[in-house]
Amino acid sequence: MSDAPRIATAGGAGPAGRSGRLAEIAPSAPPARQARASSSLLLREGSQQAIERLSELQTEPDWLRAERREALQLAGDLPLEANPLFTSYVDLRAARFDEIDPYLETGDAAQMSDVLPEGAEGLLVVSDDRVVARALSPAAQSAGVVLDTLPNVLRERADLAAHVRALVEGSATLPQNDKFAQVARALSALGLVVHVPAGVRLEQPIVIRWAVGQPGRGLISRTLISLGEGAAASILEEQLPSVSPAAGAQSLWWGTSEVVLARGASLDFAAQQDFAQDTLAFVNRHATLGQEAQLRWALASVGGQLHKSRIDNQLVGRGSGVNQVEIGFGGGSQLFDLTSYTRHIGEDTSGDLLSKGVFLDRSRGYFKGLIDIERSARGTDSFLGEFAMLLTKKARSVTIPSLEIDQPDVRRASHSSSVGPIDETQVFYLMSRGLPRELARKFIVMGFLEPVVARIPLAEAQDRLRELLEQKWPADSTVATEPAA
Amino acid sequence: MALTQRQIVDNDRSKFDFKDELVYLHEAKRGLTRETVEEISALKGEPDWMLQFRLRAYAHFLKRPMPTWGGHLGDIDFDRIVYYRKPSEREERSWDDVPDKIKETFERLGIPEAERMFLAGVGAQYDSEVVYHSVKEELSKLGVVFMGTDQALKEYPQIFEEHFGTVIPPEDNKFAALNSAVWSGGSFVYVPPGVDVPLPLQAYFRINAESTGQFERTLIVVDKGAKVHYIEGCSAPIYAADSLHAAVVEVIALPGAKVRYTTIQNWSNDVYNLVTKRAHAHEDSTVEWIDANTGSRLTMKYPAIYLRGRGATADIISVAVAGKGQHQDTGAKAVHLAPDTKSRIVSKSVSKDGGRATYRGHLKVAPGATNVVASVRCDALMLDDQSRSDTYPYIDIQEDDTTMSHEATVGRISEDQVFYLMSRGLSENEAQNLIVQGFLEVFTKELPMEYAVEFNRLVKLEMEGALG
Repeated sequence: MSDAPRIATAGGAGPAGRSGRLAEIAPSAPPARQARASSSLLLREGSQQAIERLSELQTEPDWLRAERREALQLAGDLPLEANPLFTSYVDLRAARFDEIDPYLETGDAAQMSDVLPEGAEGLLVVSDDRVVARALSPAAQSAGVVLDTLPNVLRERADLAAHVRALVEGSATLPQNDKFAQVARALSALGLVVHVPAGVRLEQPIVIRWAVGQPGRGLISRTLISLGEGAAASILEEQLPSVSPAAGAQSLWWGTSEVVLARGASLDFAAQQDFAQDTLAFVNRHATLGQEAQLRWALASVGGQLHKSRIDNQLVGRGSGVNQVEIGFGGGSQLFDLTSYTRHIGEDTSGDLLSKGVFLDRSRGYFKGLIDIERSARGTDSFLGEFAMLLTKKARSVTIPSLEIDQPDVRRASHSSSVGPIDETQVFYLMSRGLPRELARKFIVMGFLEPVVARIPLAEAQDRLRELLEQKWPADSTVATEPAA
Repeated sequence: MALTQRQIVDNDRSKFDFKDELVYLHEAKRGLTRETVEEISALKGEPDWMLQFRLRAYAHFLKRPMPTWGGHLGDIDFDRIVYYRKPSEREERSWDDVPDKIKETFERLGIPEAERMFLAGVGAQYDSEVVYHSVKEELSKLGVVFMGTDQALKEYPQIFEEHFGTVIPPEDNKFAALNSAVWSGGSFVYVPPGVDVPLPLQAYFRINAESTGQFERTLIVVDKGAKVHYIEGCSAPIYAADSLHAAVVEVIALPGAKVRYTTIQNWSNDVYNLVTKRAHAHEDSTVEWIDANTGSRLTMKYPAIYLRGRGATADIISVAVAGKGQHQDTGAKAVHLAPDTKSRIVSKSVSKDGGRATYRGHLKVAPGATNVVASVRCDALMLDDQSRSDTYPYIDIQEDDTTMSHEATVGRISEDQVFYLMSRGLSENEAQNLIVQGFLEVFTKELPMEYAVEFNRLVKLEMEGALG
């Protein structure tokens, strides 16, 4: 079915039955404890051919090809988890990489839609391996906003090509010590570029929609986002199934958000992941903030079998700040593995991070966080909160909210975490107002997650997320939909 | 006894800042071999099962890699360590060998003359010897056993074999394996069912005659419904001849028992203090761990309580002060394995003059441990720009009706508070000292009065920089 050559073609390099699959560029589900030993699973021979082929297909400049090679080397050498704090909490057993054949050839579809939805400043839709829609408002277009694929930008915008190169070269927008980020950097088959020039302030959000889910296929991508001085924008990223779920091989979405905010820039980034349950999602989000730059993440994960994400906030510029809210609502045997690093480097920076999880059935949440306050970061204000609700006996939550502090001159450096069942007094209170028990419980859980939902920029998208969250609620235990009058 | 070896202690990183080269006497062989282990066992006239236990531990020690987390362990040279000294050889060092700074610290802390000799490892403390003997009489009337671990192996072989190594197996970690292979000394406590020991058992008095070991092994068994408070250590710096201290402490609280273990660690600042301490709390028992670390170059110590029986309670207060050249990597673990269990962890750390204080904790609620209530609270105070503070809590919950809360804060002394106190006539240093003492009060208020007084005096000296 695929016109793309398989990633690895070196005969005999891999174990029987695995040749040519993602197993060779990614570890094949080792037990958590062996996480550090598994880097040898990365077979460079096949992947080397794959990156050359990717560069060729996209007629990439030499510097980008060099980037891929460097990343492949790094990815091969790195353990699954480079931070010894977290090695015990890496679990890829649910991933069947050997079933997945990632796309190599991507690009614009033959038929492209250019219809801009109501209330959006821009739209880009990727369906499996093709860009199927792309649109920008006239205002954004005339202001010089860019929303396009990397090959198109490199071909058509020589000025931006240099800018993009300067931003990403040498892994500047991805963590050097993260195997997953380096796999994306080496093997990205589809790059996207979002650029908002200095001084441009977009009123409405840019929507980027990813639809994947073809059994046995995967999309590896990078999204490069830069805002010039004083620019302001909001981005909504939606991750959806491309086909209705069918039993069969797993599918994969492996991508990044690489954000660079110049002095005084402001970005609201919201994401909602609602993949089908046999999809694997690997996400790296990395942001570098200049002086006085402000970034707000609102990230919700509902779907997928395994959602593994790492967020790096680099607060470099004086007075920069990040506000991050993240939720995961798990059911079945889903695992949300959510890591976040916040590095305070500049003076008077602030970080406010909140993660919340609700877990049903046998689902699990790993919340791994690290606030790092460097010696240069006087006047830091940093908070990290990790809160979970376990709704069933077999659900599990792991929270590791860590702090490393080299500069005591802080306004605030604290974290807090709690795990608990639904508060029975709250249930009683709602029941006393006429709500049936199950509905009361559901309301409390929705209220627990609402602070993240409220931060999604489009009203429509907010409603959709509320719907997704409600759908998570087990149908058999849900009683009346409307409270008694 | 001849002078056979000359050792230069790395002075630069020592809080006490001693400048002298130290010379001490011994004739024991350095380094660890299977023969050393066999020799220790033979010298002690141990039963065969203990020799086999030691050898099993030794095999594991060789196999087990050094931990790659925690503090910097690269400078430990296992071949330079003397693994066993016969008690009679222990007092061969003379008072003149003790660095002036240590002597001065004793002076400032107001430690009596005889006690100073004991703390410096150069003499027995005869006053406490007398106290200990009267304590012993009273205890034996109650059926309480309180003696050296070696002696207990001979006199109470049954209780010993039943419990020894059951809480911390040799395979637990590299340093527990090392201890299990070469252990010597330590305390053994057995409290019979229903006995409430009216006074704290102080290891300080018991070990007077034989000095404290570097690889001591403590086993505390508190039988059903019994109650005891065991105290180890003291605020004055303990001067060590070798730079590695790897103790193992096992505490067993049988159903309904209540045990409190209090320890103040103040090794001199060239010591690696790598200690494994763990308690098993059975049904309806309570284990309290009150732990302070002010000395050593590097301490890695995470007192753990395994809540194995329904209704058991764990309470851990862990305090660390990291000064110049020190890394206190400490914390606590509570592992809930049974329903209706409770745990509370409170950690307070102070780092100053480039010291590093790390909290590393683990809270686990295993499947089946329903209706657990747990809390972890960590506060850190950093007194200057050169110091560092880390917090690494691991919280792993696998039951849906768990109630867990965790809070952590890190900060420096509030200038407002200092200003306020100074406006009341205190000097800046006095004000800071008072604030630090207040910060650590959660710990000091749990100490017997004389310990609390001494500990506060120690903190005051640290704050004044009077210790170097």
